[in-house]
Amino acid sequence: MASPGAQIKGRGTPGAPVQLDVYSDYQCPACKALYERTLVPLMADYVDKGKVYLIHHEFPLPMHPHAMEAACYACAASRVGKYEQAGDVLFRTQDSWAASGKVDQTVCSVLTPMEAQKVRVLAKDPAIIAEVQQDIQAGRNANVSATPTLILTHRSKQYRVPGGASYEILRRFIDQLLTN
Amino acid sequence: MRLIMAAVFLYAAYTKLREPWLVFAMSIDAYQLLPQWAVLTLGRTIPWLELLLGLLLAMGIALRYTAAAAAILLGVFFGIMVHAYAQGLKIDCGCFGLGEPITARTLLRDGLLLAACLTLTFLAVRQRARRFVAQENKLATQS
Repeated sequence: MASPGAQIKGRGTPGAPVQLDVYSDYQCPACKALYERTLVPLMADYVDKGKVYLIHHEFPLPMHPHAMEAACYACAASRVGKYEQAGDVLFRTQDSWAASGKVDQTVCSVLTPMEAQKVRVLAKDPAIIAEVQQDIQAGRNANVSATPTLILTHRSKQYRVPGGASYEILRRFIDQLLTN
Repeated sequence: MRLIMAAVFLYAAYTKLREPWLVFAMSIDAYQLLPQWAVLTLGRTIPWLELLLGLLLAMGIALRYTAAAAAILLGVFFGIMVHAYAQGLKIDCGCFGLGEPITARTLLRDGLLLAACLTLTFLAVRQRARRFVAQENKLATQS
């Protein structure tokens, strides 16, 4: 599911029985809700235990004016090994930077000064912008039109998981797949 | 019209039953209207109910009641979809499996299906009423 040429932003064990591809937009409220209510517990209960391999894909929507910048900063942060920290702070403080536009300040708050300097340069690098564009194109190729979109793969079979589904229902489904 | 509605319900049941039942449960859950126990219960039962209604409609058994039950089911679905659309929820309809978002087009389609079901109910009730009146008249004539 990773777009060719882009860095795979995955967490967990690549060979896990279940793979979950998440297409999201850092400025999307539903994506924030998904992250906080579903992905955070999922990472603790399944991803970090080797049962699910979680791959994040950038899919900034045009209607969100700072989403593209946020995606670029997150991808840039991945180059210094701080992708998860950047994503976490972007989602948790979404209301603030979405209103103020202070994406740089938000992401750099979780970086060391040296990392921040590097990320600021990288965020404007054409290679990073191209990476985000490739993620968007990969999403379009997978018929992604809204965020969040989750695509769960188990034994080569894909299931589109509704973004609004609660963690309790999703975990039952994952447990069912793992049992089978 | 009866056979068309039967085909719709049978197809709806098929798209749900060919996947793990929790997939449909997740699409119900995405509407964020019901507690977990209700989501799980409906996730398990609705596809079978659709299958039963489809078969009964196809065979024309107890048409008044079957058509009415189908209309009620469709009416509830339609109402929930309209509510979700009005709330701006970007979720799947869940009508015929996943991957079909709620749009004006899906609302129009399901609205037409509901109208067809209500028409079928009306026709079935009217036909039964006419038969009843005809029988009564026959009995009255004989006596």
